Amino acid sequence: MPPGLDQLKHIVVLMMENRSFDHMLGDLAKTNPKIDGIAPALSNPDTAGNVVKAQPLAQFQGQLDPDPDHHFPGVDLQIFGGDTSPGRVANMQGFIKSYFNQQRDVKHSQKIMYYFPQEKLPVLTTLAKEFAVFNRWFASIPGPTICNRAFAHYGTSFGKVGMDLFYINEPFKSVYNRLIDANPKRTAKLYYFDVPSSTMEIVNLLQHQPELFGTYEQFLSDCKKGQLPDYSFVEPNYTDHDGDDGALIASDQHPDHHVQAGELFIATIYNAIKGNPDLWKSTALLVTYDEHGGIYDHVVPPACTPDGFVASPNDTGTGMEFKFDRLGVRVPAILISPWIPAGIVVDRVFEHASIPATATSFFIGDYEQRSPREKVADIFVERTDKPVDPGRNLLSRDVMRDDCPEFDLG
Amino acid sequence: MATIKVPKPPNSAFNKERRVSSLLRAHLEHLQRAEFRLPAELQTNIYINAIKTEGEAAEYIGQVTARLHAAHAGMGAPKAKGKKVTSMAAMAARAKTKRKSVKVKAKKKQTKAGRGRR
Repeated sequence: MPPGLDQLKHIVVLMMENRSFDHMLGDLAKTNPKIDGIAPALSNPDTAGNVVKAQPLAQFQGQLDPDPDHHFPGVDLQIFGGDTSPGRVANMQGFIKSYFNQQRDVKHSQKIMYYFPQEKLPVLTTLAKEFAVFNRWFASIPGPTICNRAFAHYGTSFGKVGMDLFYINEPFKSVYNRLIDANPKRTAKLYYFDVPSSTMEIVNLLQHQPELFGTYEQFLSDCKKGQLPDYSFVEPNYTDHDGDDGALIASDQHPDHHVQAGELFIATIYNAIKGNPDLWKSTALLVTYDEHGGIYDHVVPPACTPDGFVASPNDTGTGMEFKFDRLGVRVPAILISPWIPAGIVVDRVFEHASIPATATSFFIGDYEQRSPREKVADIFVERTDKPVDPGRNLLSRDVMRDDCPEFDLG
Repeated sequence: MATIKVPKPPNSAFNKERRVSSLLRAHLEHLQRAEFRLPAELQTNIYINAIKTEGEAAEYIGQVTARLHAAHAGMGAPKAKGKKVTSMAAMAARAKTKRKSVKVKAKKKQTKAGRGRR
């Protein structure tokens, strides 16, 4: 048994908001050709007939205002370039056209092609270089936040492509319920930032208190005391608001929130785990994003196993039904552990159903009552109750690293 | 490996007067639906359509989340004597059933009215 897996006791997932892979990590391609990022030829046409290249001009705040469209019809335009014909082929050529629709400003619409030079994102790019970065982690559906986050909690969005709230009596349990209902019982917690930010996972908020919920402050305390549950899901701060000690800046990186606040938050989560040596050697941390936020990425989302639901033409808003047989746009995803060698680039396809798939298979084992999508989703931590394929195991080092990055939060 | 300094965002990044995004608007609506399942005495009576800014949204979100926590902890309004506190899940499930039966009744009423006109 590889020692990294043998010692693994905790999986932590941090899900940020609304940024694409190329926008955040695309610049890494210039220093590591294994990373499928920005290339000189990448472009989109604007509405005036210009060919606009991707450029390293992204700003932390004030640029992507209005918030780029990331709802199903808008994303459809981004992926298919406006082609609605049967048998159409995705070309990732509709991003500027989509953004133009929001303000009718040609110059402004081109900013959807901007990405961050790596030196502007020292935390995310360092983690991507030092641990395992996923070239092919996609949002689960080409649509907005709530349905994509649902895939991370339930392995499906129950046929939703929008921002609908889910009712309680759905056929598949959330990963949290599965773990606490398992025999032997496992532990799980959803840590939201604070009460004024709350959780996007409202359905569980209605049901399970306080076993399944904690705040960011409790996460920090649990890390310090070595009391993290088996599985943790961490949410950033979704709003600028006043706290007890002053102003609290939103840290989710959702436009138009300041991207550096999110960098700081990611580093804080990393430091909290790393600051406890017992926790550090027994935890795998996944940092990812719920969806691309309407921002440019060049990789065509692949087809996928349908999850048994169908969204009507009315629900999609495109005049076409959606069979959940195609993934959403690519998002940043990085797996962090001192058992992962530096510079790993993963080319297998993942999506947010991989999250409950991984936690379920690792902490419970075989589990039948879940969506067809989740059953076939790739997992990012190999289960230990079966022989481990060394070609798949990311926690592959025989000896724990002692050269992992350190972040100074000032 | 050298320690990496993480810059802090400037103070100007903070703007609780920023208008709510579509995500926050959906968040408010979801929490309102959760709020409506609370006993009346625990509801905020805040009109969410009047919420325009992130600061206002955070205020509402905080109130509802705190009340949901309190209701689960059984620390809400005093229980009526002898009355069992219903679980949140049961209330939600009942609300779904109620909506279904209201729809069925409305359909029956419609059909009856149609027959009468003929």
